[in-house]
Amino acid sequence: MFRNTYDSDNTVFSPQGRLHQVEYALEAVKQGSAAVGLRSKTHAILLALKRSTGELASYQQKMFRIDDHVGIAIAGLTSDARVLSNFMRQQAMGERMMFNRPMPVNRLVTSIADKAQVNTQEYGRRPYGVGFLVIGQDQSGPHLFEFSPSGNSYEYYAMSIGARSQSAKTYLERHYESFADCNLEDLIRHGLHALRETLQQDKELNVNNTSIGIIGPMGQHEKPISPPGSFRILENEKVEVYLQSMEKKEEAADPAPAPVPAPAAAPGAAADDDVQMSG
Amino acid sequence: MDHFPTNWGRPRNDAFDAYATHPIHQRPYNGPKDTFADGVQRTQQPIVTGTSVLAIKYKDGVMMAADNLASYGSLARFKDVQRLHQVGNYTVIGAGGDMSDFQYIQYILEELSVEEISAQDGHELGPVEIHEYMSQVMYARRSKMNPLWNSLLIAGFKDGKRFLSFVDLLGTTYTASTLATGYGAYIAQPLLRKAVEGREDIITEEEARKILEDSMRVLFYRDARSLNKFQIATISSAGVSISDSMQLDTTWSFAEDIRGYGAQTQ
Amino acid sequence: MTSIGTGYDLSASTYSPDGRIFQVEYANKAVENSGTAIGLRVKDGVVLAVEKLVHSKLLVPGANRRIQTIDRHIGMASAGLLADGRKISQLAREEGSKIRKMWREPLTVKALSDRISLGAQAYTLYSSVRPFGVSTIFGGVDKSGPSLYIVEPSGVCLGYHGAAVGKGRQLAKTELEKLKLSELSMREAVMEAARIIYLVHDDNKEKEFELEMTWVGDESNDLHLPVPDDLLEEAKSRAKAALETFE
Repeated sequence: MFRNTYDSDNTVFSPQGRLHQVEYALEAVKQGSAAVGLRSKTHAILLALKRSTGELASYQQKMFRIDDHVGIAIAGLTSDARVLSNFMRQQAMGERMMFNRPMPVNRLVTSIADKAQVNTQEYGRRPYGVGFLVIGQDQSGPHLFEFSPSGNSYEYYAMSIGARSQSAKTYLERHYESFADCNLEDLIRHGLHALRETLQQDKELNVNNTSIGIIGPMGQHEKPISPPGSFRILENEKVEVYLQSMEKKEEAADPAPAPVPAPAAAPGAAADDDVQMSG
Repeated sequence: MDHFPTNWGRPRNDAFDAYATHPIHQRPYNGPKDTFADGVQRTQQPIVTGTSVLAIKYKDGVMMAADNLASYGSLARFKDVQRLHQVGNYTVIGAGGDMSDFQYIQYILEELSVEEISAQDGHELGPVEIHEYMSQVMYARRSKMNPLWNSLLIAGFKDGKRFLSFVDLLGTTYTASTLATGYGAYIAQPLLRKAVEGREDIITEEEARKILEDSMRVLFYRDARSLNKFQIATISSAGVSISDSMQLDTTWSFAEDIRGYGAQTQ
Repeated sequence: MTSIGTGYDLSASTYSPDGRIFQVEYANKAVENSGTAIGLRVKDGVVLAVEKLVHSKLLVPGANRRIQTIDRHIGMASAGLLADGRKISQLAREEGSKIRKMWREPLTVKALSDRISLGAQAYTLYSSVRPFGVSTIFGGVDKSGPSLYIVEPSGVCLGYHGAAVGKGRQLAKTELEKLKLSELSMREAVMEAARIIYLVHDDNKEKEFELEMTWVGDESNDLHLPVPDDLLEEAKSRAKAALETFE
């Protein structure tokens, strides 16, 4: 495999001013199955593709609740995600205790980004190997953020991470301008369409492998919930009604771009879809 | 010399205070020491003190008043102290009790405000958040047996809602449409309640101001630790404004007719 | 760079035979790859502006700020690794907090830049860390008036009338040198800053960009705040117009 002099630890800049260890950590995110996030004026949603190691195994957990007003979907190393989400929960609870308010979502994301930055600068650590999509709502409405191991975080209208997420991104870029005014059902349908793009040829979205996370008021297929609409995860039979709403994939009219070739530097990038370590 | 103001002062009066226990329950013990009781001793009483703070809700928001005196025991030591303090864009906090502790509170709130401003993300601390924060701070300190010796009123107006609450050195909190700390809790609170309760949405700014001025006048007559120089803060949809210091008209001619104290001999 | 592969460039704690510390130079490369940031110190205040490169059209405009607030009266713009920039801002706020605790007064821009540069220098000494991949412009108004400093990855800290870091800094510096900075008003500085950012942006090579601008001084009541929207829009349209006559 290709090796380069400047990639053995994270305290070394390459002559181009790049940090190879950090870039490899970004590859770890792409090892995980895809997650998609979208936002309208009223809702923010997450959709994720769950993997299973076999018939006897359950499907993995792709979404975590942080607080009533925040939830995340992950791609990459699940164990790293659990550490970071635990930290986020503590932050959010601290804010409720000290100020009696939901923690502003951007600050929550920045707090883990700052944590991640340290792991890119000091010896003896490795950057986190997980990326998040974070949805939340606060005084300024619904939000969608991406967190990545490089210590960066950005706010998006829509975003996808994980394996073959570029295909989903292409779909989102084509449609994002209509998301703002979508109702919850349409937003989820767009999300599923985007998520579908990340599937391998012979696979399909079904009630077992699809998770949907929602923040915002009750949708027409949901049981009544209190007004602000705290974070909830839909799985199994609850997903059915949304899967039904999907339109048939137009094969020819809308050719999905070829999956991004796995970079040579990433070990085992082309490995089996069901890598157990990865999220 | 004993520099503790509470140890000098009034002569003992057998008629009403045979053991000189009034008004302060605890005084520093200057007698022989018990070797085995040599623990840590923290604040036992406030030193430089402010007296009452009054606040009421009215039609457009909340109004708060406090005088400018900081006493050193019975000595009127500082006469230009501001006891109303603005925090952020929506909140005023008024303090009675120890003034150095209040200055410390102003510092931690400044620290908090700068943190909030630095985020520059459109989220701002309102009175509700500041009340919660102060109650946590005060309760945490009393639980360490090291209280900040204050009674605080927190008043604000944000998102179309008025807010008024009380926090004290024990971390006790409550809220009402009229609040008063210190001597005012006994003398002014009944007057405020009578004037305000049930009429919170009717009282105009002028009327609210008059209610507070009348109460401040009564307090000035009756509270020996008060001063006829005070400020009023108004918090409404227009924001926070804290007035310059002002004075009230008072009449003292009746004093000549009072016998039994002062310069008269009979 | 001839020393690539000689092994003298793998650690900040190693000199090359000709006395250079390559890791610091490589950190500067990270700065050079980033969108330009400039600062103008003028008569009555300081204006900061950055060319924020937009890497995806899915980004929410205006949401992902690159200029940060350190204290009421101090702002900071950085070029290089964004995450490192946030670390610097964290350190800067801690510095402000320490000084406020000790002296009960706001810190000065000079003291701040000095302290941060010492921190940055420490990261050039050891193999266990890497240097900061950012150059940072600190701008603010304090008791000595408007001030503007740059802290570089090497730990060098210098004061400026006009500062530029990042990809387009050469051209930006040339433009800044043409101005009589100490005679400009803040409003004039906003116009010039916008013009320079639009000028240095390379349409052919780069993706879209967003102009982000803040100021601190008389106009903003000595608070570090975003430049008001109407003024920003005016500055943008004037910058675009100036660009056409320039070419």
